[in-house]
Amino acid sequence: MLLMAACFGAGAISSPLARWSGRLALGVGHLAALAGAMVGFGVSLGVLLGPPGLTLIQPLPAIFPFARLSLSVDGLSAYFLLVISLVGVAAAFYGPAYLRTHSPDAGAARQGAQVLALNVFLGCMAFVCCAGDALTFLLCWEGMTLASYVLVVSDDTDGENARAGLLYMVMAHGGTALLLVAFLTLTERAGAFDFAALRAAAVGLDSATRTTLFFLALGGFATKAGVVPLHVWLPRAHPAAPSHVSALMSGVMLKVAIYGILRFAFDLLAPVTGPAPFSWGWTVLFVGTISAVLGVLYALQQHDLKRLLAFHSVENVGIILIGIGLAMILWRREGVSGALATVALTAALLHTVNHAAFKGLLFLGAGSVLCRTHVRNMEELGGLARRMPWTAGLFLLGAVAISALPPLNGFVSEWLTFQALLGGADCFHGPAGLSIVLSAAMLALTGGLAAACFAKAFGVTFLGRPRTPHAEHAKEAPPSMIAGMVWLAALCVLLGVAPGYVMRLLDAPTIGLLHEAGASAVVTARGPLVLSTALTESGVDATAISMTMMAALLVALAAIAWVLRHGFRGNSLRTAPTWTCGMSPTARFDYTATAFAKPLRLVFAALYRPRREVIKETAGTPYVLRRMKYAGEVVDFAETHIYHRIQYGVTRLSRILRLRSTGRIHGYIGFVLAALFIALLLFGVRHP
Amino acid sequence: MISERSLGLVLLEMTLLVLLSPLVTGIIQKLKARLQCRQGASIFQPYRDLIKLFCKGTVQADTTSGFFRWIPVLVLAATVAAGALVPVVHAGPAVFPFGDALMLLGLLALARFLTAIGALDAGGAFGGMGASREMTIAPLVEPVLMMVVFSTALAARTTDLGALAAHRGTSWIFAWRAADFLGFAAMLVLLPAETGRIPVDNPDTHLELTMLHEGMLLEHSGPGLGCMILASHTRQIVSLTFVSALFFPIGPVAGADAIGLLLGAGAFAAKILVLALYLALVESSYAKLRFFRVPQYLGVGFVCAIMALALRIL
Repeated sequence: MLLMAACFGAGAISSPLARWSGRLALGVGHLAALAGAMVGFGVSLGVLLGPPGLTLIQPLPAIFPFARLSLSVDGLSAYFLLVISLVGVAAAFYGPAYLRTHSPDAGAARQGAQVLALNVFLGCMAFVCCAGDALTFLLCWEGMTLASYVLVVSDDTDGENARAGLLYMVMAHGGTALLLVAFLTLTERAGAFDFAALRAAAVGLDSATRTTLFFLALGGFATKAGVVPLHVWLPRAHPAAPSHVSALMSGVMLKVAIYGILRFAFDLLAPVTGPAPFSWGWTVLFVGTISAVLGVLYALQQHDLKRLLAFHSVENVGIILIGIGLAMILWRREGVSGALATVALTAALLHTVNHAAFKGLLFLGAGSVLCRTHVRNMEELGGLARRMPWTAGLFLLGAVAISALPPLNGFVSEWLTFQALLGGADCFHGPAGLSIVLSAAMLALTGGLAAACFAKAFGVTFLGRPRTPHAEHAKEAPPSMIAGMVWLAALCVLLGVAPGYVMRLLDAPTIGLLHEAGASAVVTARGPLVLSTALTESGVDATAISMTMMAALLVALAAIAWVLRHGFRGNSLRTAPTWTCGMSPTARFDYTATAFAKPLRLVFAALYRPRREVIKETAGTPYVLRRMKYAGEVVDFAETHIYHRIQYGVTRLSRILRLRSTGRIHGYIGFVLAALFIALLLFGVRHP
Repeated sequence: MISERSLGLVLLEMTLLVLLSPLVTGIIQKLKARLQCRQGASIFQPYRDLIKLFCKGTVQADTTSGFFRWIPVLVLAATVAAGALVPVVHAGPAVFPFGDALMLLGLLALARFLTAIGALDAGGAFGGMGASREMTIAPLVEPVLMMVVFSTALAARTTDLGALAAHRGTSWIFAWRAADFLGFAAMLVLLPAETGRIPVDNPDTHLELTMLHEGMLLEHSGPGLGCMILASHTRQIVSLTFVSALFFPIGPVAGADAIGLLLGAGAFAAKILVLALYLALVESSYAKLRFFRVPQYLGVGFVCAIMALALRIL
């Protein structure tokens, strides 16, 4: 089976050979990506549905004399491979038509490069999750970063994208450096690179080293996952890439970082007995909560459709981290039932696949809008629902799912997270319990704000009247792009309406990580139609919901309401212009995104600190206005308060250094010698 | 003591809620009129209005999309489905669980989200204004409601409304602890916001500066408007039943036989009347708040809810 996965990579890399024709390259390249994703799908299902504890191990050719490389797919790897494949399939369907319609005059060379980078990107993500040793992991991790960098800067040739790419590169490599330290410390102790040896080496670590290593790894992965305050690259880089790549970056690449956190926290560095150190779980829970709230608050004030979606990825990674942090807190804690940790981890893993599905869908929808209008700013769109009905309907579905509204999938994982948080709060009394409940309240706030944000995003983009000719002349997206979206929309509905049947897939990762009862035994104890969690040991007062029954009830009620809607006496339908107080309606009567979000901007003004500038040009008296100019902006808090200060410090430091840069070669040689001398004094004199 | 509710009973209760919901609005209007020394319309007036609307034709804005016709249908379905989640005449978990308190809040949020989408569809400034304001208030109300639910759920260790009601039992107000009083106070602050009444919203006005929910309905007409209005009646009665299930499940704990059900129904009527009187009193004695004062008003509820949670856990 793994050989098939390897053929994915081979097919992927051979694809740009078709470079002489851009169109052919697009077709073949995406076909290879599709085949690879299907193979990955097969492998992951094989492992997840196979006998418990099944691990596929595939040695790789020995490229390096000092290390044996291998792939190993256990439950956790297979689950993330599944997530990658699901979105990969949609991206492969969507990609060719998107690249052709969005930039029809792009050269074959650029298209070939995009196809190459896409395949390398997909392959590296899959192999990071399947890596069986540290070296493969790091190599593929780096390949993933580089390939996505190429994709970020490939779309347009303006300076904005290049700057976004540079920021991404710097942040990603900062994170990789932390990971390198964590991995190399372990490999040095183990004397080998494979994970089994690392695990054995971690047993002997003292608790301080263990915690240091964990935080190094957490820092590295959090940078990639876009956790506040390490998220600044994400809202710039994700929108810059072609839309199906944005879908992959937001929906999948962030999840690879989540995979890394899980691998380190529950597998490589986990203590053999007893709970994980106190600080781990609380840190993760805390940063998760902060990310969730700040992510959605900043998303609310974005008017760039793709940037808004990127900020929502920060939010959703936060929600996943809330589940993971809670699982770490509860796992093997005295007096806490093991099932509760399973619920928390199940919630996090389920939200992982859910977010991949709806965020992928939303990015593809935004991409359809972008390729037909070439506008990302919502204020210049509007009225697209009449022109692109399929895209609009699918985007609305994604919007309902991401706002955690029933009966779709976002609600299911947030419900599980809430149940786990409540159960956790019940186990801890005092401030610990209170902070867990407050985290739940923040999660509720996040859900409400997400609904407001998507009412705005959908309403302003797709409803009302078109505000510019770009939107006026938009056409529906090509069928292959719609097919990609329908696939993800079907996943959203399936995961929302019948989540009980999916729990079986979560058994292998939850049992493998926690060594407790599996997800399906805990959550679907009352059959696959009912999700239930027992907050008490006895289980009598278990809370249960049935998404399937609720969906059926909704459909039945909607049918009755449809009859009512048609009225008792026939159905005479007349159209008339919208009421605008007697003036003839134009697009300027439509509410804009800025106006829609204004009340919330004022309510949360203490956090946003919005900048507002009004320039009035009057004719003599203040009562006659000639011209008026308004500019408003909300800047990211982390950016102004952390990064600008760092930048200021670095600039000052380099100014001071420049004073010493005289340009004379003797001076430089003197510095080098002095540095060498100091280094020898510090490190060299230890060996007598 | 805890007996389960059968599927038939759940659906019957849901239908009962929908059928009675215009009556509750009528009673509130009548009480308000009496408090303001007016005669007021009959308590059955909302039924007449609904029948009139369902007999009318539809006038639809020419800029609307295909979604617009579906909005009233889906809003009504989501709101009525929320009615299946609250225990009315009898407590205890349902035999076949539809959902819990979180699902109920989720369904109401879905209805609100779709209403806002419908308001933006026609492309008028009123709809946008209503949608923007409603979606500003909603994220501030929902977390506080959730916190009130959490504060009771932590005692009962479940978020299922039937089980919550059964856990509270017949012990009435004497068994309340400080956390319950604070939670109830928070709920009383939130109730006008959740039902769209003064001091947060004004259901009687179509003046653009004061309206929230009504602004979103401006472009609906005929049977579609009827569906939206029935949905807002239902939302009101569901909210009231939700409060009584959380705090006063005195009736619904009686036995499952005919006498028990009748007792439960009588107690239900009494509780809803008391809460309706509360709403009418608040509406008659306060002015509507300026929109940007509403967050401060809701802040009172937030502080009560957080104190309730802290007392429950610490």
